[in-house]
Amino acid sequence: MATRKIKTVYDVVCPFCGTLCDDLEVDVEIATDKVVEVRNACQIGTAKYYSSNPSPHRYEKPMIRKDGKLTEASWDEAIEKAADILTAAKRPLLYGFSSTECEAQGKGVELAEILGSILDNTASVCHGPTLLAEQDVGVPTSTLGEYKNRADLVIFWGSNPVHAHPRHLGRYSEFIRGYFRKDGRNDRYVVVVDPRNTHTAQIADMWINVNPNEDYELMNAIRAVLRGIDLDDENVAGVPKDKIYELVDLVKKCNYGVIFFGMGLTQTLSHHRNIDTAVCMTRELNDHTKFLITPMRGHYNVSGANTVFTWNTGYAYSIDFSRGYPRYNPGEFSSVPLLMNDEVDASLIVASDPASNFPQDSVRNMFKHPLIAIEPHETPTSAFADVVLPAAIAGIECDGTAYRMDHVPLRLRKVKDAPGECLTDKEILERLIKKVKEKLGEK
Amino acid sequence: MAEIKLTLKKKPEFPLEADSITPDNFSGKSIDDIKALEVYIGNQTAKLEDYFEVKGDTGEADDLKIKIDGDLSNVKRIGQEMTTGEIEIDGDVGMHLGNQMKGGKITVNGNADDWAGAMLEGGEIIIKGDTGHYTGAAYRGFWKGMQDGVIRVEGKIGNEAMLWARNSKGANKWPTLYCGEAGSFLGIHNHGGTIVVEGNVDRCCGADQAWGTIVVKGSISTKLPSYKKVGEVNGVELPNGDKIKGKFVEYSGDHSVRKETKGRLFIAA
Ligand code: SF4
Repeated sequence: MATRKIKTVYDVVCPFCGTLCDDLEVDVEIATDKVVEVRNACQIGTAKYYSSNPSPHRYEKPMIRKDGKLTEASWDEAIEKAADILTAAKRPLLYGFSSTECEAQGKGVELAEILGSILDNTASVCHGPTLLAEQDVGVPTSTLGEYKNRADLVIFWGSNPVHAHPRHLGRYSEFIRGYFRKDGRNDRYVVVVDPRNTHTAQIADMWINVNPNEDYELMNAIRAVLRGIDLDDENVAGVPKDKIYELVDLVKKCNYGVIFFGMGLTQTLSHHRNIDTAVCMTRELNDHTKFLITPMRGHYNVSGANTVFTWNTGYAYSIDFSRGYPRYNPGEFSSVPLLMNDEVDASLIVASDPASNFPQDSVRNMFKHPLIAIEPHETPTSAFADVVLPAAIAGIECDGTAYRMDHVPLRLRKVKDAPGECLTDKEILERLIKKVKEKLGEK
Repeated sequence: MAEIKLTLKKKPEFPLEADSITPDNFSGKSIDDIKALEVYIGNQTAKLEDYFEVKGDTGEADDLKIKIDGDLSNVKRIGQEMTTGEIEIDGDVGMHLGNQMKGGKITVNGNADDWAGAMLEGGEIIIKGDTGHYTGAAYRGFWKGMQDGVIRVEGKIGNEAMLWARNSKGANKWPTLYCGEAGSFLGIHNHGGTIVVEGNVDRCCGADQAWGTIVVKGSISTKLPSYKKVGEVNGVELPNGDKIKGKFVEYSGDHSVRKETKGRLFIAA
């Protein structure tokens, strides 16, 4: 009998974007434990699986900076050094967490509480404004399956899923056939509101070319028209009055509408107020028809990070434990302003790469102080770390739970072993917690 | 009036949380007791005397004035929840000055950072310089922000001042803000707050105002499309009885909240 050279893992959940596709098939060569084929995933999802294969960028052993150079060390040495850094700090920051699984995130909360540190995740620089607005005005939302089966009007506002969430359109929002949308794309009217004629806009039925940074004004006008007000202005945010009336007519007449919004709303001038008014607009549309709204979350488990942090502390991100209990105030306790003010004297970065995303000055300040990275690959952040703790890639080399953008939890699968001495994020954080407790004399 | 003088010895290396500095907390305590009050820095606890020189005569809160000297731009939460007495600050001060204050008076001869007078419930805050964002605003997730009292800022205030301000006609509470200039989203989600601006205001002024009065003696960068012109008026009478002179264009709004609204925005004609 011929021996099998390849094993196939079915129903794998893709650990890349918030769409969290759960239909992947991954082939792994048994002898080498290498991913050789990924079916059903989009390009970016596929690339993430291949990135787990051995490469010069992959960390396989813990490293400590000695005489200015990262040098290999034992796990005990590395954990000892990391714990020394964290316990000596008066204002440590724990940041990242959105690209790992929920149990590791829970351990992050535990460590933050013991250290009296700041705890933040990547929502702080992506959909944090969404969470702020939801606290102010709530959110009428649903799961993606509902949209797939029911929505006949889909609005993408400041989001470009063709590039950012490639399979979203095919699985939930545009082309897929649903229970009440038997003819798929033909049964849905698709509107894109974006200052750019994006690829998503090019395949839509209507593109609203709003001026950059004026989404708030446009939604404000739509809401007034929905209230039965005749606009004084002929043109709002670059959109002619007639077009606004046409859009309002369209949304009122649909059976079931949904707005998917992205960072074109959360990270432009009005930030959380864009979402605030978008939510109010959605709520008001329910006086006329059924309408819902969902953020297009980026990192595959950023929803999970928000959820885990919330069930542990009451808050989704930007949490400060310095006074022994959790406090919350984005802008005061979020990573970027803290680093900008040079308020952080040591950082632990888990499964994230702030050096590539944060403003330069904040990164410069982060690099001035001790830095620990829990990371599978070399990144601009880990390259400047004092301690690198090599991690298994969650969802590829270890299992766990992740939350989809609509807050549906899905089980991640392990398809292969991690290379070298890599441990899972959860194990690394557990070791750190143990060592930190020992140093602080806690049980 | 008894006076206690605090002088900052050194600029703290991290923000110092000094919510213990209120007339209420100092009331009836000896100078030594006051020196031993707790302040918080990073994840550590320190004593007030570690950062401040403390001198003066002690007394009861009602009759107590705390004078603070030095660059307090990194000192947060001074005057938090105070109910009476007075604080005078010579210099800039950090975030959350006089937040949730219920009575008494705070004067700052300098600038204040974000959240000055946040969720004010009474008393008066006077700031001679500028303030940061969220002046007199509601904290995250609260639906009732500033409920009474007066904030006077001579300079410019940042964005989202008076967020979710809430008056009470029955209890005769009229939260009021006077300022020199203002940033964007002034009076957002206003439910009865009164705002008077001497100069100009940035975009989205009065966004989502349910009711309340905003008077701008200068101009606003762009008026929201959901505000409708009502007419022109000569002088405006504020709910707290104050009269503002001058010619104004009166707008009603925010109509994105309601078709018929008592919300008013007056912009100098
Ligand atoms: S759309 Fe997102 S979750 Fe789906 S395969 Fe692509 S990267 Fe993975």
